[in-house]
This record gives sequence, structure tokens and C-alpha cells, in this order.
Amino acid sequence: MEVYQLDDLTQLQQHLLVQHQLYQVIKNDDEQCAWQQQTKEANEPLIAMLPQSSAKNFFFAEHESLLIFNGDYFQETLPTPEPFVLFGVLSCDLTAISYQDKFFQDDPYYQARRKQCLLVGLDCIQPCQQGFCPTVDAGPGVRQHNADIILHPLANQQWLLITTNDKGAEAIKGLALTTSHWHLLTQRDLTLRQCEQDFPDHSYIINGIDKLNSGEIKDSFWQQLAVQCLGCSGCTTLCPTCSCYSTRSISVESEQNKVIKQERFWDSCLYESFQREASFHNPSSEAGKRVQRFWQHKFGNEFFTTFNRHGCVGCGRCEQTCPGVIGVHSVMKRITNDA
Amino acid sequence: MSASLIKTTCPFCGVGCGMYLKVNQHGQLLSVEPQQSHPISQGKLCDKGWSTAYAIDSYQRITQPLKRINKSFYPISWHEALTTIADELTAIIDESGSNTVGIISSARASNEDNYAAQKFARAVLKTNNIDHCARICHSPTVAGLKQSLGSGAMTNSAKDIFQTDLILVIGADPTENHSILGGHIMQAHAQGTELIVVDPRVTRLAKLTPMHLQLKLGSNIALINALLHVIIKEQWFDENFVKSRCQGFEQLVKHVKAITPESVESVTGVDAELIRATARAYSQAERAMIFYGMGITQYVSGTNNVISLANLALSCGHIGKAGTGVNPLRGQNNVQGACDMGCLPNVYPGYQAVAELVNQEKFSKAWGTEVAQPPGLTSLGMTKAAQSGDFRALLLFGEDPVVTDPDQNHVQSSLKNLDLLVVAELTMTETAKLADIILPAVSFAEKDGTFTNCERRVQKVNQALAPLAEAKGDWQWLQALAKQMGSQALNWQNSEEVFNEMASLTPAYQAMTYQKIADKSGLQWPCTKETPDGTAILHQQSFPIGKARFICVNQVDIDEPIDENYPLLLTTNRLHFHYGCGSMTRKSPLLERETPPGILFINPDDAKALHITHQAPVSVKSRRGYVETRAMLSDDVPIGIVAMPYHFKEAPSNQLTNTAQDPVTKMPELKACAVVVTALAKGIAPKTIQQLQEAQ
Repeated sequence: MEVYQLDDLTQLQQHLLVQHQLYQVIKNDDEQCAWQQQTKEANEPLIAMLPQSSAKNFFFAEHESLLIFNGDYFQETLPTPEPFVLFGVLSCDLTAISYQDKFFQDDPYYQARRKQCLLVGLDCIQPCQQGFCPTVDAGPGVRQHNADIILHPLANQQWLLITTNDKGAEAIKGLALTTSHWHLLTQRDLTLRQCEQDFPDHSYIINGIDKLNSGEIKDSFWQQLAVQCLGCSGCTTLCPTCSCYSTRSISVESEQNKVIKQERFWDSCLYESFQREASFHNPSSEAGKRVQRFWQHKFGNEFFTTFNRHGCVGCGRCEQTCPGVIGVHSVMKRITNDA
Repeated sequence: MSASLIKTTCPFCGVGCGMYLKVNQHGQLLSVEPQQSHPISQGKLCDKGWSTAYAIDSYQRITQPLKRINKSFYPISWHEALTTIADELTAIIDESGSNTVGIISSARASNEDNYAAQKFARAVLKTNNIDHCARICHSPTVAGLKQSLGSGAMTNSAKDIFQTDLILVIGADPTENHSILGGHIMQAHAQGTELIVVDPRVTRLAKLTPMHLQLKLGSNIALINALLHVIIKEQWFDENFVKSRCQGFEQLVKHVKAITPESVESVTGVDAELIRATARAYSQAERAMIFYGMGITQYVSGTNNVISLANLALSCGHIGKAGTGVNPLRGQNNVQGACDMGCLPNVYPGYQAVAELVNQEKFSKAWGTEVAQPPGLTSLGMTKAAQSGDFRALLLFGEDPVVTDPDQNHVQSSLKNLDLLVVAELTMTETAKLADIILPAVSFAEKDGTFTNCERRVQKVNQALAPLAEAKGDWQWLQALAKQMGSQALNWQNSEEVFNEMASLTPAYQAMTYQKIADKSGLQWPCTKETPDGTAILHQQSFPIGKARFICVNQVDIDEPIDENYPLLLTTNRLHFHYGCGSMTRKSPLLERETPPGILFINPDDAKALHITHQAPVSVKSRRGYVETRAMLSDDVPIGIVAMPYHFKEAPSNQLTNTAQDPVTKMPELKACAVVVTALAKGIAPKTIQQLQEAQ
């Protein structure tokens, strides 16, 4: 780990742009934040704002071709992206990428994109509206193993730059940087600790997790809760750790030939048909069962054991997008109070 | 990966949620994202909205004009398509007159497209034969509320859901059909707003409240008159409001005097005490809102049902204030706009009556040509006249009446009987299959324009993609066709010019511009010189007709009750996965996977008696038709009632539905008809209607 002080962020952006495509979270006129490609000509200032869509689709594409069959043989269609950098990923989303790295460990499509990516993390020094990352050990400070480079805002528009591994060190080679005093790391810790303290009381989430794992919650509770699940797929689409997908064959006819394309696309475990078998047998035909399964995946001990952490990274996107008002805050409050 | 985000309005349902289309550097639509700052949807979408990219995907789209020769379609050029249509239309008009041609426009298309369609009909074809699917959703709302209040639109706004003390949902299933508003209602209820649901089925909202009035099909007026009886008897009405703002209360008092809750118990199936409790809750609430849908309008009594709801709101003074009102939930993304644009045979844009000479002169002058004078035909009137050969040519876009209109066999044979049927569509539909010429239409993502949502909010639709192949916008091909027919009446450079012309002739839209609509996140009409920022709540000071009218209405029983041969009542419903005829939503592999292609909801007790198991193949037969489908056993439908969604062309409920009509609006009674259900041999897939018809 190396620690530097950086006076001008543009220098770093420009440096990385030489060998990478660079993406950054940009806020538009309607305050909507989204990942956008940056060019050498125009560098937007770095903002610590949660984009509505996490970075997961940079690796796990919303739709992608897996293979094509041209009548004679099958051909794998692995993506071949140029090297790219995600500049300023917040800690919750970085934790989610690390989580998905495990899930997609043996997935060549995911890994083909993932290995081309340099992750530049950005510490949050203020709580965000729906976030509760400290409660689930996912922020607000970037965890060392989750990014190649970490940026931490200092006073006077200066930045602390931390390289956490060889990939990060390699990426900044040639950039004129001042090695930082170690006391600035202490300053960082203090700032992050203060930020953690500024979060509202989220003890109901901790209580909810305990109760969820106690086996005490009755089926009737989940059934009542699930009346409000409209099966919209918003939560699973925006959740940075959700990874369910399905596949389909599409025949593409042109004048020259006809090929069959196998396409993979995002799915949602909250659809009734997600687990339905051809015989119509369905282990989760009841909405209550599906909603329970979703939260069990996010907070259940059995998944904690596999992934060494919760499946939830505390970003709060589900609360914002759920039309049925059963996002994480609402559900955890109801589990704590009513279940 | 990274993509440009283009802001637009969701193309499904009348809520009009804000969404961004994510377009990659190759100009391909990747997916959508909800708009967080949108005044209604605030970062939420339903399953239909999330699946938008599938709905308009280039896969399976019609990409060039097609001409039918016998049973096959062959590609032709736009030039050939337009000359063929123009020549045939001219020949038919010359031979049989303008009243034998007409247009069915689309509640899915933009205001600009709809304005162009009615102008094309009136100024080029010289006929008032112009209609659209509002005929079979909210025409009774337009007619009913116009009589009672003077304006046939939602009186209040979506945001009022969070400013009210009580929400009465009657004959509507908002969590399925207007999911985001349904979600708002759930949220408000969770925060303490009282919720009363009146519905024959146990809807999702009904499961959340103890106040569920599970009335019998078609007993709305009896129930509402009984509510009025209690409110008047207990002196719970708003005396001040009734005196100062309404007329005709004395007659209403007399009219409902004998209609006690007990007297309607058998007709409605609702316990008298529950009726009293509802009357008390609604009338005594500080602010109370009514939401209603097709369970009110799709009856032979549709217009009177709407009027009785207006009576209820007026008597309690629950109108003209925040958190109150009579609020129809409009079905399609732009059904409000298509009505506002005058795509109705009896009104010009802005509901200016066709029958009035002054309006005829206004539009003749504005359009620089004599407009048609004789009254026009409704959509069902056109199909009926086609049957007898009195109607010969139809232009139709963005609708699939073969699937969505009542009595499918009648619609199909009528359309086949036409000399010329032109259909503009995104993908091949059951109606398009009957066309002589099919025109490739652009989707909402490929056009600029505006949609008007159910709370009268006019919102921008912004072009995100280039038109697919040779596809054209509706006003653009209508313009090209007008030119081909020698008319310069449709002469615009872009959609903004269409909008500006429309706004100059439509009083409620007069102060709207594209820029203002974009700046204000939409504008709610009326938006005039006096109300330049639009109007969130109608009728605050007075009604367009001065004083609102109480109109006495009587219970009208459903047209086709059960009997020995047809012992079950069929009602229609919708699933949140699908939109209308399913031509868009069924392109999503996820939504399509959710149900078999066609289902019948049946109570487990009825199923048991008929030896029907879950997902088993069944036949459903009415006096008009026969379909095969799969049974879904569900306690959500009461004993004696079965329910079918109408999204599926394989098992269309409209093979079965009744054509008996509301006398005022010609709205067919889609919500109730008698059927017989029989179990089919197990293990055999239900035959689609197409297979059944071929076998004949």
C-alpha cells in the first residue's frame, strides 16, 4: 500500500485516460446520477453520489450473447473490452463488485470484462439518504481489498490517493505525486469514523437480521408482506449484488444466413415463473415464499457463510425503487416491529 | 456498460411515469431506468415499464410497408403503399361518399399523432368517422362526468393520494393496471389513510383492508344509491356545498328515500351494516377521494354508474379540494390525450361539439377547408356498418380491436368485409393480419411528442432512437398520405409545429409549449392565460356548467344473467404483467413466462364441482363463442364468478363477451356475461382460437 497526496484530480483522470476508457458518475439536470464515459476533452468533477444503477452491468451485462450456432458449429462470443477504469466507485458498490466476483468466479463472460477493469474507489464522508453501509460492513470508507486505488477527499480540494495493489501502483506509474504523510491516513480514519456516527440509528436492521435468522418469523408474516410485492423486478434490477439471469435462443435471419443466438439476460427471483418447472410444479409459487427467499439471500446466515458477508451492501436502492413500499428499510422495520 | 440517458415518458398505462432510455454508442436501446425526480413516479417503475426495451425491440418488428395478396404479405415501397391507399380511398369516397371511410386512432400514440388523425379524417377524408379505444374504456366517464360536472376527466392529481384521509377504490385494480398509483395507495394506507375497496374480486388492495365490499357484478348503482340514502338520512351530507355549488339535490333526496341498505342487500350481496359503515366513513372523512376504473364503465349502465359516483362525491362536498374528487384511472398511456385531441366522432379537439355550427366554422377556418358536417360513427359503429357493406375503408393504427373489442367473431368478419383496411403497427397483430396494407410504425422511443396522463398532465416524449428501417411516425405517414390525396392540410415540419397548431385550437392546452412542458415536468390542463402553470385540481371555485348536477339514476341489471345452460358469470380483468392486447409486453421473455397464454381464474369450490385442477385445460363457452384455456384456482374470485384477462390472442375473452351496450356511449358490457366452463381431457394442451377456427 502506498499513500500519496494529490493536488489536482484532473491530472489523475488525464493520466488514466491515456490507457483506459474512463467512466464516472455524472449528475444530469434532473439530479439523476449515472455512469457516463469521460473523454480527454471534458472531465467532470468527481462526485460522491450514488448512481441509480450500480456498476454491475459493466461486468454482468443486462443482455449479452453467450454463443451463436450458424448451422454447422457453435461459437462462443466472449466480450473483448478495451481496458477501462471505473473512477470513483463508492464503497457499497465496490463491496458488491467483490461479492459478485465470487459469484461469477468461473463465468468467462464476467471475468473477461472484469480483468480489463481498474477500480478507483471513493470514500464517502457523509451519509447518503437511504444508505446504511456501516451496519452491514460495506462503507463508508472503501475497504482495501475492494479497489485498486482509493481516493479520499481532503480539505482544500486536495485528495489522498492510496494504491492497494500492484494493479493500482502500475496504473499511476509516471504520474508526478507527492508521497503523503502517514498522519493523513489517521485523519482519514477519523473522518470516516465521524461519518459513521452521522448515520441515523439503524438498529432495526440489526434486530431484523437477528430475527430473520432466528427462524421465528411465521409464514403468515411473509404472506402479508408479499401482498405488496408487485413483481416489478425493480429491486433485483437495481440491487448491486443480485445476479439472477436466464437465457433464451433467438434466431437471427439475414439474407446471407440464419444463425441462432443464445442470449443471457437479467432475471428476477421475485417472478412467479422464476423457479416454476415444466410440469407446473413450483417450490415458490406463493409470493410470500419468494419475498422471504429474497431477504434470506440478503441477510441469511447460510449465505454469510458462503460469501463471508451479507448479501446486502446497504445502498438503499430497493427502498427508493419499490412501488410496493417493501424495500429494505420498510421490511426490516416490519420484521422488527410486527413479525 | 455506459450509455446515454434520454428522458421520456413510459409508454404503458395512464400514470405516465418518468423514465430514461439507455442507448449505447451504436444507437441501440439497452434498457431503461426510472427517473428519480419525476413528480409522480419518483424513481419507481412497474414490471411493464422495466421491460420497455423488450417491447419495442427490433426483433419481430415490421420494417417496411407490406401488401397482402391472398393470405401472404409482400414488401412494397412507401410510394406504392401511399399511392395504393390514396387511389382506393379516393375511389371509394367518389363512389360511396365520405361517410363510408374512417379512422381508428390510438390511445398509445402521441397527442400529435392523434391530432393529425382526426384532422386527416375531418379535413381530408371529410368525415367525422374517427374514434379510438376510449370507446371501450372510459367513454362513459367522458359522457357521465360531462353531464354531472361539466368535464370528463380526473378531477384531482396523483399527489392528492398523500393529502387525503380516505381512499375509496371502486371497480378498479390499480396495483395491477396502474401499479405506481396502486403503490401510492398502499403507501398512503400504510401511513394511516383509510382504504375502502368495492370490487367483486379480492384484489390486492382488498387484501390490505378490512373494508372490502365484495359486491355482485353490475350492482354499483344499487350500492351507491344506498350509500346516498344513508348519508342523507343521517344528515351526513355537506349542506353548504350542496346548496352553493350543486343543483337537483331535492330530487335525489326523493329518489333514494326508499333505497335502504337492507333493500339492496340481495342485489348487491353486501351486508347492510357494511354499507352504513362505508357511508359514514366516506361522508365523515375530512377529505376523501374516489378512484374508479373499468368495473364502473364497462357495463350497459356505464354512464349512469359514473353519474352515481359523481352524486356521491358531490353530496359530501368531496370535490374541488386537495385530497378529494372523482378520479377515473385512465387505462392507456395517452387515452386522455386521444380524447382531448378530438379522436371521437362527436367532438373536435378540446371537446368542442361537432354538432355546433360555430365550431364547424372555427375549424373550417383554421384548417382552410370545409370540415365534415354529418355526425360520425363510433368504432363499433364502423365495424357494424362494415358488416352490412355501408362502411368500406378503415385506417387504423396502434390498436388491435380483433383482440381487444367485444365479440371477436363479429369484429373479424366486419374487418374482412372492408374493401380497404390499412393498419400501421410495430409488430404483426391479429388485426394487422387482416389488413390489405400494413405500414411500419415507429415506437415511442423513435418519436418526439407528448402524452397526456390520467391526471391531465401533458408530458414530453423524446426521440432516443432513429426510426427502425423504413418505419414512420403516425402523423408523418398521415401527412404523406394527405399530400398523395392532393391535400396540403397536414403541413408540418416537426412535432412541435403539430403541437402548436393543436394548442392554438384547444382551449385547455392554449398556454402550453414544448419548452414549458419540459421545464415544469409536465403541465396539467387546463393551462390557459389565467392558469399558465396548469391546474392540479379541477372545479375549485365553480364547475364548467356553473352548478354541478345531481342526476337520479336507477340500478340496471346486467344484460345476460346466468341460466341453466350458462351457469357461471364471466368477468374480465387484467394482469400487471401485461398491457392491452399484449403486443408489447408479451415480447418480454420474463413477462411472457409468467402465465400460460390464456388463463381463467376460478374459485376452488367451483373448480372442484367441475373436476378442474390447477393449470388444467378447460373450455369456456358463451352464447357468442368458445375458447380453450387453463384454469387458475384462486380464492380471489368468488363462487359463481370466473375471470379472464383479455391480453391473450390465443384465448381471447372477447370471443365470449357480450355486445350489449350502454345506450349513451355504446360501451359494451365487457364485465359480465354468462358462460359454461368444462374440464378438458387432462394432459392435452388447450387449443388456441386460431387452431379452433381452422378446425371448423
